[in-house]
Amino acid sequence: MSAEALDAFRIREEPYYLALADEISLFGAAYAARLPVMLKGPTGCGKTRFVQHMAWRLRKPLITVACNEEMSASDLLGRYLLEDGATRWQDGPLTLAARSGAICYLDEVVEARQDTLVVIHPLTDDRRLLSLPARSEAIQAHPEFHLVVSHNPGYQSALKDLKPSTKQRFGALEFDYPARAQEIEILMHETALPEALAERLVSVAEAARRLKGHGLDEGISTRMLVHAGSLIRQGIEPEAACQMALVQPLTDDPDLISALSASVRACL
Amino acid sequence: MTEPRSDGNEQELPGGASRFVRALWGFDVRVRALPPTANEFAARRPRFLASNLWLPASPLLGVPGSYTDYLFAACAHVSAHLRFGAPRFLIKSLKPAQIAIISLLEDARVERLAAARYPGLQRLWAPYHRDARADGAKTSLSLLARLARALHDDAYVDGDAWVSKGRQLFLEGRSEWHDAALCRRVGSALGNDLGQMRVQFNAKDYAVQPAYRDDNTGLWQFEQDHSEDGSPLESEGVRRVESEDPAPKRRERGEPEAARSRDSSASRRASERCTPATAGVEAATRYPEWDYLIRSERPAFCTVVERSVTPGDPARFAAALTRYAPERRRLEQSALRLVDRRPTPIRRLLDGDRLELSAAIAAIVAHTSAATPDPRVYRRVRFRLEPPALLLLLDLSQSINAVTSGGGTTLLELARTASALLATSLSSAAPHLAIHGFSSNGRHDVGYRRFKDFDQPFDDGARARLAGMNANLSTRLGTALRHAGQALAARNSRRKLLLVVTDGEPSDIDVHDPKYLLFDAKQATIENRRRGVSSFCVGLDAGAEQSIERIFGAGNYSLLAQLETLPRRLAQLYVRLSA
Repeated sequence: MSAEALDAFRIREEPYYLALADEISLFGAAYAARLPVMLKGPTGCGKTRFVQHMAWRLRKPLITVACNEEMSASDLLGRYLLEDGATRWQDGPLTLAARSGAICYLDEVVEARQDTLVVIHPLTDDRRLLSLPARSEAIQAHPEFHLVVSHNPGYQSALKDLKPSTKQRFGALEFDYPARAQEIEILMHETALPEALAERLVSVAEAARRLKGHGLDEGISTRMLVHAGSLIRQGIEPEAACQMALVQPLTDDPDLISALSASVRACL
Repeated sequence: MTEPRSDGNEQELPGGASRFVRALWGFDVRVRALPPTANEFAARRPRFLASNLWLPASPLLGVPGSYTDYLFAACAHVSAHLRFGAPRFLIKSLKPAQIAIISLLEDARVERLAAARYPGLQRLWAPYHRDARADGAKTSLSLLARLARALHDDAYVDGDAWVSKGRQLFLEGRSEWHDAALCRRVGSALGNDLGQMRVQFNAKDYAVQPAYRDDNTGLWQFEQDHSEDGSPLESEGVRRVESEDPAPKRRERGEPEAARSRDSSASRRASERCTPATAGVEAATRYPEWDYLIRSERPAFCTVVERSVTPGDPARFAAALTRYAPERRRLEQSALRLVDRRPTPIRRLLDGDRLELSAAIAAIVAHTSAATPDPRVYRRVRFRLEPPALLLLLDLSQSINAVTSGGGTTLLELARTASALLATSLSSAAPHLAIHGFSSNGRHDVGYRRFKDFDQPFDDGARARLAGMNANLSTRLGTALRHAGQALAARNSRRKLLLVVTDGEPSDIDVHDPKYLLFDAKQATIENRRRGVSSFCVGLDAGAEQSIERIFGAGNYSLLAQLETLPRRLAQLYVRLSA
């Protein structure tokens, strides 16, 4: 793999990330020890942004894979392609990262089928080996290679969970929605909203989060607040922006929609 | 007294109200409809007592805006009382006018505190204040409404000296808004002023203004009212809006005593009034019975009476369930597989709906590199069926009380443990599982009990009902099969399974021909099969094999040599039959 191709995965500018606790130093230590890291937390609370930020800090290319049910081992490892009647091997994202020393980030890792994920096992213990059965090859991971996965334990956790043998290979960092003051700060940074309005949007999110388990699977995330804020920056009335970015995407239940809409009006 | 669930007497309220309160403050309220009034001209107002909240079930006359907006305004007001309210006021020597004014000030106080947290609430409440006009008459009704508006809306201008004084005292007390004593002090003074102004206050004609506010019942401690959440009582000064008691009178089907005791005392009193003969009787249904001698049905011959269950201790299964941990795990997994409705792709098939691209490329690659290509290049998507609806029907006749040959436990206890094991492990498929039981006392009284019904969670209430299971009387199996079959036939599942646990031949006190009930049960099984309900029997008496085989057919039953294995066997059966 040429250095130029890998360059596409480098992050040039610092992605904004507000440290909520000691997660930056913990991740740094895990990277230094090459301990694979699992990021747990609800959707839209900043897991992916954190990985981008850390890749930038560590000056490492970041190769992201959004996992899904249809993903097979060869989607991670690579496959032979046909070219002009001949065959050519194409590295998959995991192989590319392991060869070249990038950070490989498997987003929403539980969405991948469990038997697919077994390919990361030899890579995540002290062997740091990746075997490519199709090529009858085993590659030793680059010393700078690092594996990060994320998952959302709150969502469908009964049906989708990682095997214990997979889980236990990782160190885990738990994420949650930021505390009120931090979330206001993030919102103001991302959307340039005035503080008073940012506060009110955060109040809406807090109200919706109290309904988690009472009809809602997940509360309003920081990401959704940023969406609402950007709509307001486009000149949309706050209530309409909240409807579009916060209430309607969250649920289709008419009772919940009316309760959330009333909460929006109460907060604004 | 005990109204059936489908009766529809209680009007439905939009379900968003209680969630709105939870979203605002993080606590739960129980929202119900105010019962219809005897006097339809009386003004209806919301009412709360502790965390019970009653709201008008239809729009009020002359109230602006939509009915939903009104409900949310009322919920926001009452929840402000619950969040910021003090312990209830004592009436002591207060006059009716003072009580009304203190309540009004308390309304304003909690609203101000709530609005400090949620500024939008003021806009939610504002439209209902607009009827109070500064040019209104100097009646107590008008003055109180204007004071309410003046305390709510700082921009409102009112020249009346009494209203201005009230507003001034209230706003000057801003630093004491956290303390309800302010309202009592200011309200007593304003009430005296009103008396000196010779303005009549008639408690009988007074209705709280604006209409979204509650009728103040929840603010006051009445001398006669001992229970914390007892039924609202009439008291001078605080006018009762309804002549009907809004406390819940409905009893859920088989709702356990434990859950009901949380309800208001009114419902307790009401249930005590029931005579034992009618207590817990829900509905009687008649079924025909098959007479094998005349080869014909006797129409409407047997009566099924649904009874509620006296609850027991829901914790009694804990120890028994730990004994069956391996079965539990297997059941839990199979339940999860059953409720998992995601379509699953099956890859690498010789034949299928679609070509699997990666496999096809791999085959061509193999071909190109002179290796043997794998011909399995197709895929298919498998859609899973809904879980089967399973009704576990327990024979709860006297013989089930027998002690097992191994000693130590009774068949009833085993049946109870087996049901608890199934229901606990299948919690993720709970809507598709029902556990019913029956015992008969002649053809006019086939008692039928629902310990857990379809679409009910297996919660403490259901556990308590299972724990309260007992057995007596006889086994009129056919009628019970028809009743259970009807419940199953109404389900919208592709597969409907009736799993019967019985200890032997059907029998009843008014039948002497042993073959009569046997053939009736067989007939009931055939009828059920026609309705798409398949039956399976677990026999607890090896001696009854012949009759059980007669009723359910070869292959549709299983006899237990060792009765202690019943919980295990039922679990295995579920896994097998639902696969």
